[in-house]
Amino acid sequence: MNHATRAAKFIGDADRTTWHDETLWFVRTKRDKAVYAVPEFQDLRELASQIKNHTLSKLDFYLEQFEEQAKRNGVHVHWAADADEHNAIILDIIRQHNATRIVKSKSMLTEECHLNPHLIANGIEVVDTDLGERIIQLRDEAPSHLVLPAIHLKKEDVGETFFQHLGTAKGEVDPQVLTEAARQHLRARFLAAEVAISGVNFAVAETGGIVICTNEGNADLGVNLAHVHIGAMGIEKLIPRLSDLSVFTRLLARSATGQPVTTYTSHYTKPADGKEMHIVIVDNGRTKQLGRPDFRASLKCIRCGACMNTCPVYRRSGGHSYDATVPGPIGSILSPNIDMKKHSSLPFASTLCGSCSDVCPVKIDIHTQLYKWRQVLAEANEIPASKKWSMKLMGRFLTSPRALGIGGKLARHGIKFLPYSLTHARHFNVWAVARELPEPPKQSFHEWYQQQEVK
Amino acid sequence: MSSSREKILAAARANKPEETLLPTVPDFGGDASAERFTEVLTGIGGQVIWLDGPEQLQPVLAQLFPESRISASTLFSGTLPVDALTTTEVLADVDLAVLAGEIGVAENGAIWLPEANMMHRALPTITQHLVLVLDHRRIVATMHQAYAQLPSTGGYGAFVAGPSKTADIEQSLVIGAHGARSLVVLLY
Repeated sequence: MNHATRAAKFIGDADRTTWHDETLWFVRTKRDKAVYAVPEFQDLRELASQIKNHTLSKLDFYLEQFEEQAKRNGVHVHWAADADEHNAIILDIIRQHNATRIVKSKSMLTEECHLNPHLIANGIEVVDTDLGERIIQLRDEAPSHLVLPAIHLKKEDVGETFFQHLGTAKGEVDPQVLTEAARQHLRARFLAAEVAISGVNFAVAETGGIVICTNEGNADLGVNLAHVHIGAMGIEKLIPRLSDLSVFTRLLARSATGQPVTTYTSHYTKPADGKEMHIVIVDNGRTKQLGRPDFRASLKCIRCGACMNTCPVYRRSGGHSYDATVPGPIGSILSPNIDMKKHSSLPFASTLCGSCSDVCPVKIDIHTQLYKWRQVLAEANEIPASKKWSMKLMGRFLTSPRALGIGGKLARHGIKFLPYSLTHARHFNVWAVARELPEPPKQSFHEWYQQQEVK
Repeated sequence: MSSSREKILAAARANKPEETLLPTVPDFGGDASAERFTEVLTGIGGQVIWLDGPEQLQPVLAQLFPESRISASTLFSGTLPVDALTTTEVLADVDLAVLAGEIGVAENGAIWLPEANMMHRALPTITQHLVLVLDHRRIVATMHQAYAQLPSTGGYGAFVAGPSKTADIEQSLVIGAHGARSLVVLLY
């Protein structure tokens, strides 16, 4: 199944699609308001981009520096080449403590590695504590957005889920009431948790510390009550200096939701006395992406989700249509690196309008990379035959002035005689689904231009 | 395990691009007024109240939290004695924590709260309500200036900006997700 087929399922519900589109656009406008209030915002984007570029250019050095500092702080550092190793390391730590009750705050990396199913299969209860993530965990769904994991759901859906799992009243749809029910339900989990797993927003090489940003406070509550903290981070989370955080903390929340900063920006450097802190550093394809000059900039991503909120395709097709851990424009350039065949349709799920690149806080050239992935996919024969041949034919046609002249003339005069069933044959002309052909002009631009010269 | 470490480092070394410069982050200046701080913090759900003197602290708290039964504070006596060894069961009943903030950030309403001021790392999020007391002369304009003033981030520390909140259900803002349900900043 490709992106278009999955998107077709989503847009089958027109009202919901419109709601989804408008809600995300509202988040985008909140972002604009927050961004325009900071006169130096464009300078900050440039600084963030340069800091990330620099870090990637010395990634081995900063990884080692980070490890050394973290160890000095009393933190256990683990290295995982891939998802399986990441999962095995975490399961091992949990087993060493004979723990069965685990809370987990937001981590796209653990989603990417499918940690939850692995732990559950091994008899470990793992509870996602971010409200949006808990909702989709109860529904056994994947997140549909980086920072708004349950944005594909309506409050009625959440109400029904909570009625079934948390015992709220049937038909209760008030977000205030539902959130309070989740607070009570999750508080019991926080108090009982033996191990807390978290993601990592930033890892500071010079201090060996990690920074976690949340609005709910779920990471702090979980980590600071449990005996063991396990932070899972991709190698691209590094930044060199503590002061670099000033740039990223000014960009992240403004770009994500239009807030001036997240409620909690928490710096974990050393374990509390008598407690344990582990950091798992994960590659899982990232060094491979680092070796692709055209695509390595995707590793600068700080997971704000701004590219999704602005994307005309994402807003109308929903996060699940991407069938990837990270959906939307950024996901469409990250996912083919992991599995080119499975995600071959994603770089085409874009109009190449460039809005994603315009809002990206670290200046990733997202739409250029989408375009470049298309070339790579075509080279690797990972695009459908119909697209491949029609593009080849079109290429030949458009590069021949003679063919274009004759073809244009034929089309201008002949199109009105073609039967509708032919111009709108679903299998030959996907473009015409939901579109009408334009009124053919009387003359071509070429013909018109020649007339102008005569005058 | 060490083999994965070597593998990752070797791949990073082999695949990294040519070295680029690490930029210097300038101080962009900005408005460091208590008014700006108040306006921003109020906008994200916090409340700012001026204290005329230290003797006002307890009367103001009594007025703000008349229902409060169990409070914990480093700033006045007679409260629940909390330290790093306090058990989860005891912490879970705290309904008011009154702690000293170190640095306020006017652009986003955040306050730096180091571990040394927390009594217990979990206290600022497990308490039902949080009060941070802040010297208004410690307000800076931006995060750049805040980080410049931090000697280090210690073992643990957090910038706290407003009460715990979520908008995960249909983007409706709800104050009081998992952390403190309210944040009051007492400026002096």
